[in-house]
Amino acid sequence: MDSLTIFLILLALGFVFGKLAEGRHYRSILAREEMLLRLPATSCKKPMGKTLPVGHAELVHGHVVISVDYFKQLLASLRNFFGGTIQSYETLLDRARREAVLRLKESCPTANEILNLRIETSSISKGNSGDRVGSVEVLAYGTAIYYREVSSQHSGL
Amino acid sequence: MNYQPSLPEHNDNVSHQHPVREFIILVSGVLAIVFMGYWALGLFVDVAVDYLSPEQEAQLQTKINIDWDWGEDVMPETQAKLQSLVDSLQPCVPLPYPITVNLVRPSENPDMINALAFPGGKMVVFAGLLDAVQSTNGLMFILAHELGHFKNRDHLRALGRGIVLSILTLLIFGGDSDFLAATINQRTANYSQSRESQADQTALNALQCHFGHVGGATELFESLQSQEGESDLGFAHYFSTHPELQQRIDNLQRLAQERGYSQDKTQELMQH
Repeated sequence: MDSLTIFLILLALGFVFGKLAEGRHYRSILAREEMLLRLPATSCKKPMGKTLPVGHAELVHGHVVISVDYFKQLLASLRNFFGGTIQSYETLLDRARREAVLRLKESCPTANEILNLRIETSSISKGNSGDRVGSVEVLAYGTAIYYREVSSQHSGL
Repeated sequence: MNYQPSLPEHNDNVSHQHPVREFIILVSGVLAIVFMGYWALGLFVDVAVDYLSPEQEAQLQTKINIDWDWGEDVMPETQAKLQSLVDSLQPCVPLPYPITVNLVRPSENPDMINALAFPGGKMVVFAGLLDAVQSTNGLMFILAHELGHFKNRDHLRALGRGIVLSILTLLIFGGDSDFLAATINQRTANYSQSRESQADQTALNALQCHFGHVGGATELFESLQSQEGESDLGFAHYFSTHPELQQRIDNLQRLAQERGYSQDKTQELMQH
């Protein structure tokens, strides 16, 4: 009976705090995405439609580790029985991916463009014991380029 | 081609179904599977128990040893007398293994009126029962009722179901062995109404076989019923798995009539 009580408490805590944390994170993501919209990030290997000489380029990266809450973890483990999409992890990965790209952009605020953007993900803690923490790492990396001529014009941004 | 920076209008990468809805659907699905599994495995246990040979049953009895703590042994002399009463019923309710009687008075509920059949041939009689019956015949009926559970292998059925239930709970919650043991102990004495009626039948036949009449068979039920009428507390909590008292009395009387069992004078209860 005690284990059931602990289980239900963990479930309620996971649900409430998970929901609060997620809401807060999404608000922050949306605001920062709008702010950084001026900095294009693409998976193209060459700049699009521009023939400006490049002053310098650098490797930039942003990464984030996000943990799953107990409620989401339980939902996912229930999916072990029935199969289907693990919807509870979708927001987790969505947040992690967008946060990683945001951090990448924030690491080079004066760049003109980010090329060759790549996103990779890995689960931080693997194991088969029940104590494992379900958390995911998303790493975004790309090449930030600074144009020679326009860098002075854009420096005010 | 120019790059047009824009924000997505809506997020297509996440599902917008409410997680609580998903949770309820998944949990009810799991529970349905568990209940179906329990039901099917319970049927399997019933079939398997019926297939056991008396030798296998006797062998099983010696291997099962459930420890319990009902408080200290009180009244060893009365316990010995109960043991001899149970032994005297053996010819009427033949069993392939010996039955040991334990007389107990649990400290938290000293007046509890009950008797239980445990795996391993252990019969537990609560001391409150001795105060509730008026005659040896009435007491013998209850003892024969428990012997009937042994004869019908109800304790093995209950044990099997208890194990199934524990395994299912372990699968769902993970868990500790204490929880497992508690469940087995708790479930062991819990029989369904049809099993109770069958044990009543066995007891009635045993009473006829032992005394030559079935006087006193319904004695305890009648006294419980009058007590139940007096106090709101009642004994309904213990008899919840037992058929309604009046129904049991009616069944026993009808059965006695059908078989032509007479009801003679009962013997006075032994002193304890």
